[in-house]
Amino acid sequence: MKKLSRREFLKLATNSLLGLSGTFALGGLIRFLSYEMEPAPPSEYDLGSEVDYPPGSRTLLMHIPAVLIHSNEGYLAFSLVCTHLGCTVEHKDREYECPCHGSKYDEKGYVTRGPSNTPLKRLRVEVNEVGSIILHMV
Amino acid sequence: MRTNPSSRKDKCHPRAAQFARIFLFALGVLLFISANLLLTETVKASQNQQANGTPTPMPSPTPTFDMSRLTRPELPEVPSQADQGLQTFFGVCIACHGDRGQGLTDEWRLGAYGEDSDCWQSGCHGKDHPPQGFEIPKTLTFPALGTASSLGRFENAQQLYDYVVVMMPWWKPRSLTPEQAWQITAYILKLKGSLPDGLVLSETNASAVPVHRLISTPQNNNTPIFFFIGMLVLTVLGLITRDFFARRENAPPPNLIAGPVIRPSFVSHLHPPTIPAMQSRWRYTLGAGGMAVFLSLVLLITGLLEMFYYIPTPEKAAISVETIVSFVPLGALVRNLHYWSAQLLVIVALIHLARVIFTGAYSAQRKFNFLLGLGLFVLVILLDFTGYVLRWDEGVRWALTAGTNLLKSIPFVGNAVYIFVLGGRDAGPAALLRFYSWHIYVLSLVCGFVIVWHLFRVRRDGGIAAAPVTERETTTRITRTDLLKREVLGMFVGGIVLLILAVLMPAPISSPIRGGTILDADSSAPWFFLWVQQLLKSGDPFLLGVLLPLAVIIFIGALPYLFKDVKQNELGRWFPRSGSIVQLLFIIIAVIIMALTVLSIVNPL
Repeated sequence: MKKLSRREFLKLATNSLLGLSGTFALGGLIRFLSYEMEPAPPSEYDLGSEVDYPPGSRTLLMHIPAVLIHSNEGYLAFSLVCTHLGCTVEHKDREYECPCHGSKYDEKGYVTRGPSNTPLKRLRVEVNEVGSIILHMV
Repeated sequence: MRTNPSSRKDKCHPRAAQFARIFLFALGVLLFISANLLLTETVKASQNQQANGTPTPMPSPTPTFDMSRLTRPELPEVPSQADQGLQTFFGVCIACHGDRGQGLTDEWRLGAYGEDSDCWQSGCHGKDHPPQGFEIPKTLTFPALGTASSLGRFENAQQLYDYVVVMMPWWKPRSLTPEQAWQITAYILKLKGSLPDGLVLSETNASAVPVHRLISTPQNNNTPIFFFIGMLVLTVLGLITRDFFARRENAPPPNLIAGPVIRPSFVSHLHPPTIPAMQSRWRYTLGAGGMAVFLSLVLLITGLLEMFYYIPTPEKAAISVETIVSFVPLGALVRNLHYWSAQLLVIVALIHLARVIFTGAYSAQRKFNFLLGLGLFVLVILLDFTGYVLRWDEGVRWALTAGTNLLKSIPFVGNAVYIFVLGGRDAGPAALLRFYSWHIYVLSLVCGFVIVWHLFRVRRDGGIAAAPVTERETTTRITRTDLLKREVLGMFVGGIVLLILAVLMPAPISSPIRGGTILDADSSAPWFFLWVQQLLKSGDPFLLGVLLPLAVIIFIGALPYLFKDVKQNELGRWFPRSGSIVQLLFIIIAVIIMALTVLSIVNPL
């Protein structure tokens, strides 16, 4: 290994110290900016009484956005957020279409046309003790 | 005190005492008259009560009621929105709200309906109402619409409209069409005296129109044009006169290397004393670099002006933009200039890039400045996108969602990057505030810094690219005064184009994003990202939406490093042979991107 001259050593020391302090500052900046100001979106929604969702009904819940289907097999709910890039899919003639990049899903949320390759996210439906429907987002 | 004002006389100024006396006398007279009037009213009322035999204490039908008030006014030849509202108002609203929006006052009820005037007991709305009738709840008051204190719960025309369209008319809510409801809203504002002249209410602007006070008249006239043209003409005149005298004193020889003897001003100082005549022609530079500087300056100034009114909150953002456009004097001009400068800057920057590629000006010592320029282009695109999002209206909803979710698609660090950029887990209030900060501070500051660096490097790298002096066809040079004049001419032309665009094609704005309701959301990306949107239609977001665009930029940046420098003697003219591979590659990339853009336009979803 080449012997460092005094001048080279001091230069190296200066540069590495400056670099280190710069890295610290950058880390601090990233930490400073990574605070989440808003609370995370709710993990569950109370959809009100079961009576409002009779068998055979399909209810679009645009504030979530999600859809709740009550069929003979029970409740089925899935998110209306396109799994491709997150636009809200629109319900059009017995299928769901994304306005952004044209993904299509069938009545049960399965992909019928790309670019999306994962079905719409299934949401767990629960009926609590007082007969309200609870939609679990996670 | 009232009886003996004179006791204070010696304390007061004599004139003040005199005024006090006059005032008290007037007050006395007023009290006397009003007491008399009140008394006669009560006497009349009680007399009527006895005559009719009705127990309800109610004033008599006014015999002086002008029955013509019940006829619907004629529609003027060029009806305004409020005029049309009045037509519907007469058919639907006046029964309860009165012909002048005074509400169900006794005067109106008794005058207009005569014997049926007791709405709670007559056949119409009482117990045995006819099929068309409806029951009026007793607790309900029918509010006046046109008085100063009325409609207290509504702040802006949008809230009023929302109420009207859902709740009115009382007997058949939701039976008004949106158009009728807007017309009625406009008429009510007119009654309140708060309808700005010539404004047509709609989803887009209603949130910006207060119900209780009149905002200044929107400017829909031609003053902005005169204003701007005047400004331009004066600038040019000023520069011409200045230059005229400078030339007289100091006419420079045609081929002077050292430049004028006078000490250059700041603006002249930014230019080299002389530059080669061949390379200073429009057909060589296309004026694109200079135009980019001009547009950046316009953006800086108009952006600063917009900051005085823009409010970066989800509730107010779109409304404040609408306020700038519709109500702030010259506001529409400022916003449209900002918008069009931003659009043109992307185009001009691309032209500049193409010029540099096709003249071989990217090679040798200019490689680094080429990278700086490309970096500037990326900054401009980011500025355009963040600025576009600041509208926070339905038009940007999906572009915002899809554009930001691209960050999430980055493997491993995606979520962290998303939170770093947006300040939250979804595009909410924090995201708007952050985009505001990125746009007007971080990106603009960095962009300004790099612009200065880029311009400095042009000088440092030997000015505009040209062949060595020995190999030039001609060695004629022009002075910086002439260069400056060309720049001013360029600015003048650019200013005119900007002005025409700004006046004829207003920048888009649609209704504010309101909660979960999605109105006429535009699903296409901003035009410079249409090609990315088209790519995204066929697959993986990260690969096609993040990596590929990045790869294109990096590849273009790497071109000067990957291929041999253009020969020195071929510099300073179009299409040097030694740079033909780079030119070809650039053309291929450009054609693919343009084709994708066209595809996306002709084949929307």
